[in-house]
Amino acid sequence: MSELDRRDFLKLVGVGAGSAAAAGCSDHVEKLIPYVVQPEEITPGNAVFYASTCAECPASCGLHVRTREGRPVKLEGNPDHPINRGRLCARGQSGIGRTYHPDRLQRPQKRGASGELEDTTWEEAIALVAAEIAKAPQKTQVLGGQTGPTRGQLIDDFVGAVGAGGRTVYEPFAQEALREAARAVFGIETVPHFDLSGADLVLDFGSDFLESGPSPTEHAGQLADARAVDTHDDGGARVIAVSPRLSMTVSNADEWLSARAGTEGILALALARVAIENGAGDDSHRALLGGLLADFDAASAAKKTDVPAESIERVGRALAKAKSAVALPPGVALSSRRAIDTTGAVLVLNHVIGAVGSRVQVPPASAGAQPSYRETLALIQAMDAGNVSVLLLHDANPAYSIPGTAGFRDALEKVGLVVAFASLPDETTALADVVIPTHSALESWDDAQPRPGVRSIAQPTLRPLYDTRSFGDALLDIGRAVSPAASGALPTGSWRNVLEAAWADTDWTAALARGGVFTDAPAGEPTALSADVARLEVVEPKFTGSGSHTLIAFPHGFLYDGRGANLPWLQEIPDNVTKVAWASWAEISPATAESLGVEHGDVIGVETSAGRLELTAVVRGGLRDDVVAVPQGQGHTVGWWASRADEGAPGEARGVNVLDALPAGVDERGGRAWLTEKAALSNTGRSRRIPTQQTHDNQRGRQIAESISLVALAEAAHGDGHGDGHGGGHGDGHGEAHEIREPFDPADDAHADSEYRWGLGVDLDRCTGCSACVAACYVENNVPVVGETESLRVRQMAWLRIERYIGDGEPELRAGRERMGPNTESVGDTDVRHAVMMCQQCGSAPCESVCPVIATYHSEDGLNGMIYNRCIGTRYCANNCPYKVRRFNYFDNQITKWPEPMRLGLNPDVTVRGQGVMEKCTYCVQRIAEARQVAKNENRSIRDGEVVTACQQACPTQAITFGNLRDPESAVSKQAENKRGYHALHVLNTRPGTTYLAQVDRGEVEG
Amino acid sequence: MAPPPAMPVADAMRPALPDGDSQANRDLLRVMEKPSLGYFGLLGITLLAMHVAGALWALMVYLGLGVAGYTHPIFWGAYIVTFVFWVGIAHAGTLISAILFLFRAKWRNAINRGAEAMTVFAVLTAAQFLGIHVGRMWKSYFILPYPNQRGLWVNFKSPLMWDTFAISTYATISIVFFYIGLVPDLAIARDRATGWRKVLYTALALGWQGTSRQWKSHSRSVLHLSGLATPLVLSVHSVVSWDFAMSIVPGWHATIFAPYFVAGAIFSGFAMVLTVMIPVRRIYGLERYITDYHFENMARFILLTSLIVGYAYAIEYFVAWYSAVEPEQTSFWLRAFGPYWISTWTMIICNAVIPQLLWFKKIRTHIPSLFVISTFVNIGMWFERYVIIISGLSREYDPAVWGVYTPTWVELAIVAGSFGFFATLFLIFLKLFPVIAISEIKELEIHAKAHGAGAGS
Repeated sequence: MSELDRRDFLKLVGVGAGSAAAAGCSDHVEKLIPYVVQPEEITPGNAVFYASTCAECPASCGLHVRTREGRPVKLEGNPDHPINRGRLCARGQSGIGRTYHPDRLQRPQKRGASGELEDTTWEEAIALVAAEIAKAPQKTQVLGGQTGPTRGQLIDDFVGAVGAGGRTVYEPFAQEALREAARAVFGIETVPHFDLSGADLVLDFGSDFLESGPSPTEHAGQLADARAVDTHDDGGARVIAVSPRLSMTVSNADEWLSARAGTEGILALALARVAIENGAGDDSHRALLGGLLADFDAASAAKKTDVPAESIERVGRALAKAKSAVALPPGVALSSRRAIDTTGAVLVLNHVIGAVGSRVQVPPASAGAQPSYRETLALIQAMDAGNVSVLLLHDANPAYSIPGTAGFRDALEKVGLVVAFASLPDETTALADVVIPTHSALESWDDAQPRPGVRSIAQPTLRPLYDTRSFGDALLDIGRAVSPAASGALPTGSWRNVLEAAWADTDWTAALARGGVFTDAPAGEPTALSADVARLEVVEPKFTGSGSHTLIAFPHGFLYDGRGANLPWLQEIPDNVTKVAWASWAEISPATAESLGVEHGDVIGVETSAGRLELTAVVRGGLRDDVVAVPQGQGHTVGWWASRADEGAPGEARGVNVLDALPAGVDERGGRAWLTEKAALSNTGRSRRIPTQQTHDNQRGRQIAESISLVALAEAAHGDGHGDGHGGGHGDGHGEAHEIREPFDPADDAHADSEYRWGLGVDLDRCTGCSACVAACYVENNVPVVGETESLRVRQMAWLRIERYIGDGEPELRAGRERMGPNTESVGDTDVRHAVMMCQQCGSAPCESVCPVIATYHSEDGLNGMIYNRCIGTRYCANNCPYKVRRFNYFDNQITKWPEPMRLGLNPDVTVRGQGVMEKCTYCVQRIAEARQVAKNENRSIRDGEVVTACQQACPTQAITFGNLRDPESAVSKQAENKRGYHALHVLNTRPGTTYLAQVDRGEVEG
Repeated sequence: MAPPPAMPVADAMRPALPDGDSQANRDLLRVMEKPSLGYFGLLGITLLAMHVAGALWALMVYLGLGVAGYTHPIFWGAYIVTFVFWVGIAHAGTLISAILFLFRAKWRNAINRGAEAMTVFAVLTAAQFLGIHVGRMWKSYFILPYPNQRGLWVNFKSPLMWDTFAISTYATISIVFFYIGLVPDLAIARDRATGWRKVLYTALALGWQGTSRQWKSHSRSVLHLSGLATPLVLSVHSVVSWDFAMSIVPGWHATIFAPYFVAGAIFSGFAMVLTVMIPVRRIYGLERYITDYHFENMARFILLTSLIVGYAYAIEYFVAWYSAVEPEQTSFWLRAFGPYWISTWTMIICNAVIPQLLWFKKIRTHIPSLFVISTFVNIGMWFERYVIIISGLSREYDPAVWGVYTPTWVELAIVAGSFGFFATLFLIFLKLFPVIAISEIKELEIHAKAHGAGAGS
């Protein structure tokens, strides 16, 4: 026994156990390599933020890109940026997906002998393109979307240097009608922009400015401030919406005039006339009464627009009375063949009510190449005629977004060499001969100038993942290879040098740190009306086709012109009004449905002169009987999520492209028109289920989404504080007073010694239902996107969702089959309540007591925590949660739902959940933990406002407040004390940490 | 009403047969003889159902619970329905063996063995569903409170925790009860068996010699176990009902649930005993031992519990209306007229209406009718749990997330497999152990001999 002493024995045991443990762990070895030379700025575990610019839409919001260890993990708004003031919409939040997209083009491709795209080298690709250009430079054309000023200049330089034929800017949703109308009304060819701050009456002629308008995040924030009831005793700004359908914007209005689609201009002029008659405007306007406005008396306008004369008179008087009213012209959905005249009429109305120069800024004439649909069509003709030998495509997907009848695809075949610059494949790159893979927006330098005075920089925030180049560098490389002369004519250095040179007039470092240079917008002088105004022909537009219904192709709130379709979150987050995801649908009214003999979910045929679509019917009351509304943006055949590739059906279109039923036609002055078709509807006799997250919008008086009238609010303010009843709101008959608050202090429900009880406030009056918070939550918390099939089973994982209720709801019940879909809305009713629903962090949580393994527990600071490792998946907690905010991983979402390289973008601060466990919102506990660590290091308490949850950060209207309920001075404590405060389903006594502030019912606008 | 004797007195008094064995021994052991082709056919079907379900279950563990029909907000589905169903079935055996034993209801002797076996098998079937249902069955041992180095402990406030204890206790007691009662019969079988059976029975019979001391210990054990098992009959299904009643789900949160579930359990348990024992009696010609009188008595139990269950249905609706709680009222209204109306009316007709036929003696003593009615009750009781669980969850507090659940074929196959599992065990039991307690029958014979006709009462 002496051979083996105790020490040797222990050593052997140690070695044996160690090797056994090592062998048991894993097959592959992962190396942890410490930073030997630590990169500047990067401390492992600490996030670094870089200012940049959002590239998701032309609004160009400012970003703060949150990076961890050199990888962007979250996009947040840049608080210094004048456009979005620190907030970011759902589209912007999802932009991060473009960098980590499984479709990413990883190296140059060229069409091989087989006709398929094959990988090639940069040298070969550049040489190939340059040689083709050199052969016939004047037959080279550039076609692409709107870019920042410097990139636009670079393209112009390129065109000049190589002697190319020209450059065409094609932007599907360009505000061409507005530009043309500004020329007609003000004599300046420019795009006016609208400022809602300080407005007291907003008249929206179908711009959908809160969802797909020119700058939704900016406008939503401005409107929310303009009508904040806590600062405006009178309820602040009123919104009157003119629209044939209840869009999200309409659902936020105080009054809805459901004018006949296309007659908005007539309504605008009639309103202008009533306003002038009631004292608005000056002599120049009164002069219009006999001219432009002569035929637009309320009675005849009422007949043409289907808006009661009484309403026109009343709203006209309100416009005259308002101190700072503003009218917004129609957006894409209502751009008819008369879009320029309609928009002109709205600009005239703005002029009459004195909005021009303040709420309507008319900047000097636009410089540089402007988007032009007419030029795009001309280019297609040139291509078709064989006059284009090389076509360089960038930042646009014309093969998808130009109606097929324009013949773009056919014309493309007659182009010698089609070169597409893109970071993600789409329908256009699929047709290209050479694909130049560019950096994603987060990998490249760029700039943007959404309006004069706002110059914004985009900077790279990670090393390029693949063998790609920025668009600028690739273009420079090609240009330099064309000929020595071209090379000499092009700017020297890299694209970054070019950009820096363009910013030479600024302090580059300061601009980079701040995200740009933001000078106050030049206070535009009140612009006089041009004499051309008289030439506006405001008449009802002509429609093609003989159908009974007007086809409205509205931009999808998330997919926009279709560019959002390949981003998983934008597909999965349900549409804000119909709650439909992953699909196309056709909205019809119940009367239409009845006449067709269809129900919600049945497939109907929509036939126009340009084509026939088959779409699942969404039967909703909030729609005129004479229209059928179809969202744009779906129907892609290329893309992991855009097509049905993620469901194992690559090449199969997801939904239908409504452009297939629209002609390529232009309005009478060359702009693009969408509202041009009459559609014949038919019952196909089939039905097709589409993923719908919410099928009941009747809250049955259960006080989930509350509303309070201004009168009741004023009474509550003068009452004794708590416990004041309020009327059921909008005087609809069930106005019996009910307790809006329950007698408990939400600050109670934390450990007695805890300094904190975290709480959240949601102001439903500020909330527009835009889903920015939903997208932010998805990205921040690594919430998986489950896809269409699973969405059909209602297994979305969203920790935060927006419920849409119509009014207080009726507890009545009807036997038989319930009608699904948006089933209690009606035309003219804007009492739509968007309720943000996430875990309420109940003080007396029903979920906690039923979990057999304590996987969900109450934390010291009042949170309702989740321990994923402990969860065995009994799902009892979810059954017992009255708010139904718990989500279960039915499959191994962490493996199957994050195709490579998406997991590079996962937030390292949040556990990725595996199969069979429950998950839910924890008020972004990782952000609380981060703030707690900082506070601890500095030996202090967490300050109010130091923890900002992801949803709060994103909210364009700042509807969400977060903080410590134990601190009576915190913003959230004050919000909890608000007279409008209530707790959802308070009768259950769950003692939530989330306080809702009731929506305010401002009533009809008084004339 | 004087019950007919369990067997003719003359038979009991008949001298021993030439081969030296009693009639009862021969009759009842004959059941265990070489199985027929039909038996193997049936066993094949049940084994197939069981193995298909097993394979699907393995697939489900691999892929995830998503292969079932769960949808937000319906997080419990056919598995929990079937779990409660089998726990309910498990109640007849203990009731017959323990409570009727304590009440000295002699008619139980003919059916207690079969019922006890069913109890054991039903509890084993039910217990599997706890594992099938959870999302991470490979971690389901977390639910057991045992000291561990991970410092994990369980939540004794959770009804699922109570459930775990209730089911495991019930399984233990019913297995012990079943086995103790089996020992004398195993000895009889041992004395007559050859080959591997001899070895098996010798081991299982624990050296039973039938001495008076052994008999004394045996009857003592049975008495004490009956005492222990009696409260379980009431408590187990009460605890199972609290899985629902302790929650705040409209349609679940009701104080009536415990007695309602216990009555339902006995109801379904007796129905299952009838459904199983009627064919067994017929196939193996056991009419001598299991008489119509036994079946009639069970029918009476079914009638009584049907009335209780029917009353519970009615009172649930009354309380929902009387509570003036809108979500509760809505839940019950939609239960009857909403998306699950078919299930609800199936449940009411099968459980509360059809059993009323048992008021008629003609039907009570007409065996084919009894078989049909008991089958309806089995169906109705499965749907009762389906209605409570699914319709309750589908229409909760937040109408925005109301949903509809439909079981997938995987779930239905696994549910069918549970019947296969149960039937497989029962079929094997038929061939391995005496389906009727021989010793107890003999006890009755001796009583009959000693006291003459009418001793069975």
